[in-house]
Amino acid sequence: MALLELKGLKKVYDQGKIEVPALRGIDLTVEQGEFTTIFGPSGSGKTTLLNLIGCLDTPTAGTILFDGQSLGELDKKELALVRRHNVGFVFQSYNLIPVLTAYENVEFAIRLINKYDKREIRDRVMGILKAVGLEGLENRRPNELSGGQKQRVAIARALVKEPKLVLADEPSANLDSKTSEEVLAVMAKMNRELGTTFIFSTHDPLVMDYARRLIEIRDGLIAKDQRREQDAVLN
Amino acid sequence: MLFLTRLALKNLARHRNRTVITSIIIAFAVLMYILYDSLIGGMSEMSYATIIDYEAGHLQVVTEEYWQAEKEEEELPLEHLLTFDDRLQKEIRQLEGFLAAAPELNFLARLNNGVDELPVLGKGIDPEAFGSVFAMQNQFVEGSMFAPGESRAVMGKRLADLMELGVGDYITLLVKDKEGTFNTIEAEIAGLVHTSNPNVNQNIVYLPLALAGKGLNVDEQVSKVIIRLENKETAAKSAAGLESRVKKIDNRLAVYPWHELEAITFIDAAELEKQVIFAIILLIGAIAIINTVILAALERMGEIGMMKALGLQNKEVVFTFVLESTGIGIIGGIAGILLGTVSVALLAKFGVDFGAMAGMDITTFGLPIIGKIYGVWNPAGFVRVFSFVVLTSLLASILPAYWAADKDPVKTIYHR
Repeated sequence: MALLELKGLKKVYDQGKIEVPALRGIDLTVEQGEFTTIFGPSGSGKTTLLNLIGCLDTPTAGTILFDGQSLGELDKKELALVRRHNVGFVFQSYNLIPVLTAYENVEFAIRLINKYDKREIRDRVMGILKAVGLEGLENRRPNELSGGQKQRVAIARALVKEPKLVLADEPSANLDSKTSEEVLAVMAKMNRELGTTFIFSTHDPLVMDYARRLIEIRDGLIAKDQRREQDAVLN
Repeated sequence: MLFLTRLALKNLARHRNRTVITSIIIAFAVLMYILYDSLIGGMSEMSYATIIDYEAGHLQVVTEEYWQAEKEEEELPLEHLLTFDDRLQKEIRQLEGFLAAAPELNFLARLNNGVDELPVLGKGIDPEAFGSVFAMQNQFVEGSMFAPGESRAVMGKRLADLMELGVGDYITLLVKDKEGTFNTIEAEIAGLVHTSNPNVNQNIVYLPLALAGKGLNVDEQVSKVIIRLENKETAAKSAAGLESRVKKIDNRLAVYPWHELEAITFIDAAELEKQVIFAIILLIGAIAIINTVILAALERMGEIGMMKALGLQNKEVVFTFVLESTGIGIIGGIAGILLGTVSVALLAKFGVDFGAMAGMDITTFGLPIIGKIYGVWNPAGFVRVFSFVVLTSLLASILPAYWAADKDPVKTIYHR
């Protein structure tokens, strides 16, 4: 069964007297375990699409089926629960909580799902921090970490609860190419090992090199949807 | 929830300056209330003592008609008097905790010094009994108390100064006797007093009971009998017990405790003023908290968005802000209580002399206080102001916290 089914998805922003269409009718199906990149020029609707898929925003028209469940039928509270249990986010600006350590930032996400006991939480958090290469840095606060390390914490936070879907909006935009590569390698590894579905929104060719599916969006519509048998980096 | 609680506590330390400033504002408000409460409490206690010591005693035996006329018509009628005979004296002396009793004959008069005239309150008293009920003997600034049977008077120094009178001068009191006929009472000034009771200082002329009785043509009747007890707190209970016994002698008689006097009710009005101060303090706390929450929310827009992306519901975001604000309220409240404790301890020990500070006698303004005002401890006031400040901090933060939590997550995540 597909993880995501988008049908006739439209989003129009009302800016005073002007209506700005961001998505004009997107039909898309994403299977579990896909590593997908959405690319396109600025203002093409990439971030809007990610926000709709991630239940952060609601469409003007069309339907989204997430794991068979129509998101349009859910209220705010239920949408929050879908995000809590099934979706991980990675943003360009990390959005880590500055008063919490790297460990606590990651712990925050897993605490919310109320599924594991204290020892399991510790093992999982330490495990994911090790996996993203932050072993030994768990007690550092965000202001004591580099940009790449912060983004790794954000990735660990998105992955620790083992969500069905991770949405990453321009995750490499603030990183140098070496760090970008390290971060992408971590996510690709998670995709392979855990079967987590990743959808990226990006301009970065490096991110596209890692993807097995490339979707180009132009003017709020899918212009191209290309699948690759192998990615360009890891094969 | 435990994690959110931890987060809220960490956020308290995050904006340390803001937390400290808001806490200081709250602490200052709490301190002001505690000081005001302590001073008003001290002032009330001193005022009660002043009225009891110079005017009212602990209990008053009067006829009900006299009490009503005095209270409602603000007159001092001469037709509802009582006889302070042996039976009544015996009943009063048997009262538990009894110390002394003094009869009084009160009347309205016009004081004349030969040139000017002023309306005054005349009191016919038995100097010996009066001295054992009231604390007048140490308040003479000139002369002394008259002896029974003399044609001499005692008055307040301020009244004497106003009428340009001194010890040895003669005064004339123009009165209306029981039949309504005008009469005069002549007396030589025996002594001048200055007490903490402004009424005594500027309105009252004391005369021997016999002289006043003769001038008013009331035989040996008196307006009231003032009783002093060992403990003022037992006054209400003693009044009820004594009343049932004195009614058997004369069923017109009633006994009223000190706190039912109009002057005491007036002092109690200060309580209302205290409530207003209390409301202002809570308002200051609420404004400080609302301001803090809004600033914190504006600064943490990206974070709020991220928390919502992580799946936090609005109520959970609200919870973190409310807890943080309540924490500020608790810090400010505790600091205020500590400062208040030190301040009240100093006030209770050393007192404050507002008269000396202002360079004048504050009894001039009708405050029945002379010298220093000492603070009193009111632990209930401490608990009350602390509880309300914490509660206000909690309640005041709910609305701005909801405002923050209800923001569109997309806009907050991409907020710069």
